[in-house]
Amino acid sequence: MAEEATPTELITCTIDGMVLQVPKGTRIIDAAAQLGIDILHYCYHAALSAPAQCRMCLVEVEKAPKLMPACVTTVMDGNVIHTQSEKSLKSREGTLEFYLVNHPLDCPVCDQSGECKLQDYVAVEGRAMGRLAEPKRIIGRDDFGGDVLYEGDRCIMCTRCVRFMREVAQDERLGVVARGHRMAIDTFFEEGMEGNIWADNVVDICPVGALVSKDFLHKARSWDLDRTPSICPNCTQGCNVTLQVRDDEVMRLKPRPNEEVNSYWMCDYGRLNYSWINRGGRIEAPLVREGERLVPTSWSDALVRLSELAKGAAGGVSAVVSPFMSNEDLGAARRVIAALGGGEGVFRVERGEEIVLPGFPQLALREDRAANVHGAELLGFTRAGDDKGKGGLQNAAVHGGVVFVMGDELADAPADFGTGASLFIYVGHVLSPAARNAHFVLPATTFAEMEGSFTNVHHRVQRFWPALHVPAMARPAWQILGVLLAGVRGVDAPATPADAFSLLGELRAEYGELRFSDLGAQGRPLPRLGALAETMGD
Amino acid sequence: MSTDETKVRPLHPEGAPRNPGFAGITGEFDLTEAQIRGTEYVGRRPVDGGHASVAGTLPYQIADRNPDAPLFEGPYAERLEKILTRYPDRQAALLPALHMAQEIRGYLSPQSMDEVAARLELPPAYVRGVATFYTMYNLQPLGKYLIQVCTNISCNLCGADAVLDAFLEHTGNDMGEVSSDGRFTVIEAECLGACGFPTVVQINERFFENVGTQDVPSILEMLK
Repeated sequence: MAEEATPTELITCTIDGMVLQVPKGTRIIDAAAQLGIDILHYCYHAALSAPAQCRMCLVEVEKAPKLMPACVTTVMDGNVIHTQSEKSLKSREGTLEFYLVNHPLDCPVCDQSGECKLQDYVAVEGRAMGRLAEPKRIIGRDDFGGDVLYEGDRCIMCTRCVRFMREVAQDERLGVVARGHRMAIDTFFEEGMEGNIWADNVVDICPVGALVSKDFLHKARSWDLDRTPSICPNCTQGCNVTLQVRDDEVMRLKPRPNEEVNSYWMCDYGRLNYSWINRGGRIEAPLVREGERLVPTSWSDALVRLSELAKGAAGGVSAVVSPFMSNEDLGAARRVIAALGGGEGVFRVERGEEIVLPGFPQLALREDRAANVHGAELLGFTRAGDDKGKGGLQNAAVHGGVVFVMGDELADAPADFGTGASLFIYVGHVLSPAARNAHFVLPATTFAEMEGSFTNVHHRVQRFWPALHVPAMARPAWQILGVLLAGVRGVDAPATPADAFSLLGELRAEYGELRFSDLGAQGRPLPRLGALAETMGD
Repeated sequence: MSTDETKVRPLHPEGAPRNPGFAGITGEFDLTEAQIRGTEYVGRRPVDGGHASVAGTLPYQIADRNPDAPLFEGPYAERLEKILTRYPDRQAALLPALHMAQEIRGYLSPQSMDEVAARLELPPAYVRGVATFYTMYNLQPLGKYLIQVCTNISCNLCGADAVLDAFLEHTGNDMGEVSSDGRFTVIEAECLGACGFPTVVQINERFFENVGTQDVPSILEMLK
């Protein structure tokens, strides 16, 4: 933890028979983690202070008179530490038995079940049978406001939530009330947690089911969820998340640790704003205009006819794209625009107030409420419209040449949007009234159904992976547009997202210096730009 | 005072006046209890806290309690300033500040906690946590006399449960409730530190020692 000015002194210790060298000042729990030993703990959290009050991480250190809490004890030179000795196993078994004195065994109706630390630890190291004959104490449940519900009976008083609100959110709304077995977590009477957009993080860090999300309440069982690493699409921060999916429906978003972007946290706005990903009524087949009607057809038919028409396109392009589309999509759109005679491209984005997380100021709910605004700007698209993500369509609406729309729903577009265009191509998700004016409607996938990357506010390029099935014939926009370009220009179409990503270097050299496969699950900053954005404090 | 002898106190001299909690019953001197202890059930103390070194350590009950009184005004503002000089930060002054609020208003309402939090610039939730942790902060309004019966081990062995029941019966109260005439609140207390004289009862700031069930009516009679 501590970064000392003096060169770090390495010390040697032995943990469970394995010899390890660690810098002086390393805590036992962190040293053990380096060896792949998971020391059980509740109150300790890497991003919070350690009060050493849960007594789960007690380990035996030779020559120490008592068991030592691994979360605060630093390793000393020559320490011989046993995490699985009889003494420490016995201690943990006893501690767990005390936790179960008052913890209800309501796992079948508890949302935490399946990802509950108490459940896990008792299964591994707890007693087979409880010996308690007394009734358990009842505290009941308390609605903390916002998305947080407190189930007091399940609480094991690790105080992670209290410390999160004090140290990270720096809005100390939670406290420990009363003492002894009546102890509970509560806010100041009716104050609640309403209005703090970081409140839901206490649900994530709660090791048991004491703090649960009202949005997720009784919605799915943890073991039924498929977890896909992804990027939160709801602002330019690009928090690393997992999309948790059941039955092809996103059930919830959970933050995924990334020290460079969001640490362990994310905001409630991003977390709870996912229902649009599950939206039905998607376009399921390519549609081609025949007279007044849009007729479904095959991809090859649609794209062959479109590329024939596109070859003769004149009058330049007026494009509207969506900042929810991936870098690869936007790059492909930029190339299509160039191939069809060039022209301007705009995007529209909803804006709001920026709210910084005080304890981790690199993280904020950003003003631009779409993931890839910076990607769109780097790839030559300009901002249009107002702060509600409306308007700004006046040029495209009456453009006489090619109108190209990708991703934008055109919800507020005039009814005659694009009717004057010589060619109107709509690549998108839902068929709004204005999109029905298109000559070609091509169904694209959302970020949750495809592989790709976003560029965040600090120009960090981060990958996401497909979590949902693609609706019918929809395809990633980069693939659709790649094939279209192949038809128009006779170039090879990109076959993989990595191919599509490597083509970005032609539009913006910085992208060319990154390799898709190097981005990994934590992303990489764009060379030069990434550093620039940091110094500008943007 | 009752002159009955009981099994509980065989050492009392025959015919000596029985005055619970008063050493005069040993017959060593002639002073009455009132002469020694006065008749007040609360101590007298300077409202402004006196010298700064003791401003934070004053007892916490006064006879006149007004749930609507302003908290940190006039001499009380002065007292808080003195208290603050004795601590390294505002958080450390929270306990005496809460005691002061309780002294003025009789108990700590959510409103009082909020005012203390605002004055000390602490999070209200934290202040609530502290106020609910310590048993000497009253979270409910009290009767004029707070009767605390020790039921810890020494007193318990000498019949504290019966004494507690007697107080509840004679005041017609439930535990922790204010009696209908607003005079009494009876609660159970942990060790009051007078284990040599069980059962010990603390009424406001006065100790009654060697209390037996038969003493309860006369004690309540004294509390006008």
